[in-house]
Amino acid sequence: MEYVSPEGLRLDGRRPVEMRQLRAEIGVVAKADGSAMFEMGNTKVIAAVYGPREVQNRSQQITDQALVRCEYSMANFSTGDRMRKPKGDRRSTEISLVIRQTMEACILTNLMPRSQIDIFVQVLQADGGTRSACINAATLALADAGIPMHDIVTSCSAGYLNSIPLLDLNYVEDSAGGPDVTVGILPTLDKVTLLQMDAKLPTDTFEDVMQLATEGCKAVANYIREVKTSFFCLIVIWDLCYNYC
Amino acid sequence: MRQEEMVTPGEVLGKATEVKAGKGTYVAKHNGFVYASLTGLLRTVSPPPESPDQRPTVEVTGHKAHGAVPEPGSVVIARITKVMARMASADIMCVGPKSVREKFTGTIRQQDVRATEIDKVDMHLSFRPGDIVRALVLSLGDARAYFLSTAKNELGVVSAESAAGGTMVPISWMEMQCPLTGQIEQRKVAKNES
Repeated sequence: MEYVSPEGLRLDGRRPVEMRQLRAEIGVVAKADGSAMFEMGNTKVIAAVYGPREVQNRSQQITDQALVRCEYSMANFSTGDRMRKPKGDRRSTEISLVIRQTMEACILTNLMPRSQIDIFVQVLQADGGTRSACINAATLALADAGIPMHDIVTSCSAGYLNSIPLLDLNYVEDSAGGPDVTVGILPTLDKVTLLQMDAKLPTDTFEDVMQLATEGCKAVANYIREVKTSFFCLIVIWDLCYNYC
Repeated sequence: MRQEEMVTPGEVLGKATEVKAGKGTYVAKHNGFVYASLTGLLRTVSPPPESPDQRPTVEVTGHKAHGAVPEPGSVVIARITKVMARMASADIMCVGPKSVREKFTGTIRQQDVRATEIDKVDMHLSFRPGDIVRALVLSLGDARAYFLSTAKNELGVVSAESAAGGTMVPISWMEMQCPLTGQIEQRKVAKNES
């Protein structure tokens, strides 16, 4: 099947190095300490962060740093056919672990000993790149909760179909069976916190695809910083009005 | 000095040799730069003129106000939950003037109730469950509770209910009286600042 037309357009009309449209909203879950909604094209996820709070299971308490827990689940209605088991299956457990390790690397856990930070991510619409959207949403939610971090974590995926590296695969391109490289970076410190790939790639092609994904991550980072700054400005103005009235 | 600039985690704020890292910032060990760790307003505080370290402090204030956390040396308001032979358990409700978001547990040991004759203290004549006490945090304590002390004149029971149900009036540092029945009950009473 042809995933890139001879004119250089993909199935949804994008160019190979074009990302899908990004949209983010902060503070969508009122009860959580921090929450965010992140959309990458048709993929939509919500992240909620609770913490730092006291460890609920005393045996898991770590004396010199915070415990980070993460749970990834997909809503039944998120995929084309209704899903039977939203969490607890192998894929969800693996993605939960991956997101936990990624976020744990960027949170300053030694500032909050003996406490627990819970990150819950739920996929509302799945159209490829759910892992990346979850990490981006979790970053925004952690920033909303005021949890100190080394840097924001952004993630993006890239693939290789019809001998062309493609940025930000959607579900159809992902199910084509080609390689799918997911990269998570700390953009300012320029460090990689997540690197995953399925299928096989020759080494030099892999470098190109990873470089493309890293540039996608940096584009997401610019968008996230813009969202946080404008959202925070709004909060400051709202606070000032509230105090003066 | 105040600068109205919005920063996000990972933004460079300066070199560790030129600025000091305050709240909401951290120093990266490998290159000595000071980065922000929170999203918020950046503020530069000039150092006091007498200090030997003349670097300004940069700090980032986030918009979420976190609940207060007891620190050693802070005065807290707690409610007694359990009284035992050698210690009393209390739920810490306020740290200084701010109330806490989730409750912390504190322990007042027999030797920390008062400053004099500490081995002759009877816990049941000092506290009862339900009393509100003002205490000083001695230390972070063990895994279960903070260690609190009431061994000062202004620390101790601030408000208590008598057996009859009325709010008692303090008479001396050892006694409180119920206004409804006139009965005198023994507590380690805090001295009011007058």
